[in-house]
Amino acid sequence: MMDELVRFSDAKAGYWRFVRLRRLIRYVVVLLFATYVYWTIWYLNIPVERIWGMPGRVATMIAGRMFPPDFEYALTGTVFMSILETIEMSLLGTVFGVIIAVPVSWFAAWNVTPSRAVCYPLGRAVLVFSRAIPAIIWAMILVVILGFGPMAGTITLILLTLSFAGKLMSEQIEAIDMGPVEAIRATGAGEIKIFFYAVLPQVKAAWIGIIIYSWDSTFRASTILGFVGAGGLGLYIRSTTQLLDYQRTTGIILVVIAMVVASEILSHFARQRIR
Amino acid sequence: MNSADLTESDAPHDRPPARPDGNPLRPRGVIAWLYARNAAFATVVVLLAVHVFVFQTDWSRTSGIGEMARTAAWFLPDLAYFPSILIALFETALIAFWGTAIGMAVAIPIAVLAARNVTPFGLVSYWSGRVIIVLSRSVHELVFALIFVSALGLGALPGIFALAVRSIGFMAKTTAEAIENVEIGPLEAIEATGAKRIAVILFAVLPQVFPIFVGNVIFQFDINLRRAAILGMVGAGGIGLIFAEQIMVLAYDRAGTVVLGVVLMVLLGEFVSNRLREWLL
Repeated sequence: MMDELVRFSDAKAGYWRFVRLRRLIRYVVVLLFATYVYWTIWYLNIPVERIWGMPGRVATMIAGRMFPPDFEYALTGTVFMSILETIEMSLLGTVFGVIIAVPVSWFAAWNVTPSRAVCYPLGRAVLVFSRAIPAIIWAMILVVILGFGPMAGTITLILLTLSFAGKLMSEQIEAIDMGPVEAIRATGAGEIKIFFYAVLPQVKAAWIGIIIYSWDSTFRASTILGFVGAGGLGLYIRSTTQLLDYQRTTGIILVVIAMVVASEILSHFARQRIR
Repeated sequence: MNSADLTESDAPHDRPPARPDGNPLRPRGVIAWLYARNAAFATVVVLLAVHVFVFQTDWSRTSGIGEMARTAAWFLPDLAYFPSILIALFETALIAFWGTAIGMAVAIPIAVLAARNVTPFGLVSYWSGRVIIVLSRSVHELVFALIFVSALGLGALPGIFALAVRSIGFMAKTTAEAIENVEIGPLEAIEATGAKRIAVILFAVLPQVFPIFVGNVIFQFDINLRRAAILGMVGAGGIGLIFAEQIMVLAYDRAGTVVLGVVLMVLLGEFVSNRLREWLL
C-alpha cells in the first residue's frame, strides 16, 4: 500500500520534468525555425533591407503609374476582340476537356475501371501527367508545336480541365454505391452499359457541379495564356507591361477582375439551380 | 396465398392505359425545349471550335501531324543537363514554401474579416475582406510577379511575395467558409461559462476550424509548387527563368529536361504533402 502512494515532492519533480521537457522542445523548434529563416535568406540572396521600402514603392507604383486605369484601351478594337477570344477559349477548353475527362475519369476510377491492368494505369498516368505540368508551361510547349494563336491556348485549357475536373470526377466515381453496378453486371451488361446505367446516374449531379467549378478555374487561367502567345488578352498584359504603359495594364487587369467576378456569380447561381 | 387469391390487378404486367398526351412525367413541351437548348449549345460550341481550329490557326505553318510529332520529339529530355537544374528546382521549392507560409500568416486575419459571423466591424470589414479575397484570386501570379519585380528588383523575394499575395485568397476564402460553418453548440457552451469573446474564439471556433485550415494550407503548397515553377519567366526567381531561356535559345531538349524536373518536383511535393496530411489530420 505504501509504495503505491506517490509522495508530493515526487509528483512535483515529475511535473517540473514534464514542463521543462516541453519548454525545451518549444525552444528547439523556435531555434530551428529561426535558423531555417536565416538560412533561406542567405541561400536565396534575399535583400532584406529592400522589404522595408517595399510598401512605399508598391504604393507609388500603383498610385502613380497604374492609376487611373485606361479602360478605353481595354474595351475597344483588338483588345476587346481578344477578351471575346478569351471567353471563347475557356468555353471550348471546358467543353472538350470534359468530353475527354469522362472516359479518362472512368478509366482512372479503381472500382469500375474496365480493366485494372491496362485502363487504370493509363487513366491515372494521363491525370497525373497533365496535372504535374503547370498550364503556362503546357502553353509554351504547345505554342512551339502548334504555332501562335488560340488553338494552342484552347488545347492547354483542355489539358487543364482534364487534369482538374478529371481528378475530381474520378474521385466521385470511386465514392459511388456499388450495389447498382453489381445489379447491372448481374444482367450480363458490358462495361460500357454498366457505366451508362449504374455509374453515370449516381455521379451526374456532382459532376455538373464539378464542371461548373472547373469552367470557373479554366476561365481564370485563360486570361494569362496570351502571355506566351497562346491567344487571348494575356498578350496585351505582356505588351503593355513591356512598354511600361501600366495604366493600360491596369485597365486590362480590372476588366479581367470584373469578368472573373461575373463568372463566379454566374457559376454560383448555376450551382444553386442544380442543387 | 394460392393462385386463386390473385386478382387481375396484381398481375405484374398490368399497366394503366396509355394517356393520349404521352408520359405525364415527361411532357412533350419540356422535352422539346431541352432538345432545342442542347442543340443550340452544341451548335454554338461547334461554330466556336471551327472558328478557333480552322480560321484562327495557321495550318500551313503547323503542316500536318508528322511535322507536329517531330516538333514534339524535340522536347524529349536531355538527361545530361538534369544535374544542373537541381539547385534551381530546390530554390523553386523554397520560394513555394515561403510564399505559402507568408500567405498563410496574412490569410488568417483576412479570413476573420471575411467570415460573416465573427467579422469585427460589421459590413465594412466583411466587404473589405471579400474584396481582398477576390483581388487575390482573380489576378494571375505572373501579374503579381511583374508588379513585385518592378518594386523590389529581380530575385526570389518578389516571387515569394507574389505567391504569398496570390495564395491569400484561396486560404482566406476556405477558412472564412469554415468559420461560417462552425457548429454553434460548443460556442454556446463556452459562452455559458461567462467566457470572453477571445476565449470563445480560442476554445470553440479554433479547434473546429484548425483541421480544415491545415488541409487547405497543404493543398495550397501543392498548387504553389506549380506556380513557383513559372515565376522565373518574369524574373521572380526559380526554375522558370531556365525554362524561358532554353525555349528562347531553341534548346528544346533542355527545356524538356526542365519540364521533367518540374514534374518530378510536383510529384514529390504531392507525395510529401499526402504523408503530412495523414500524419497531421
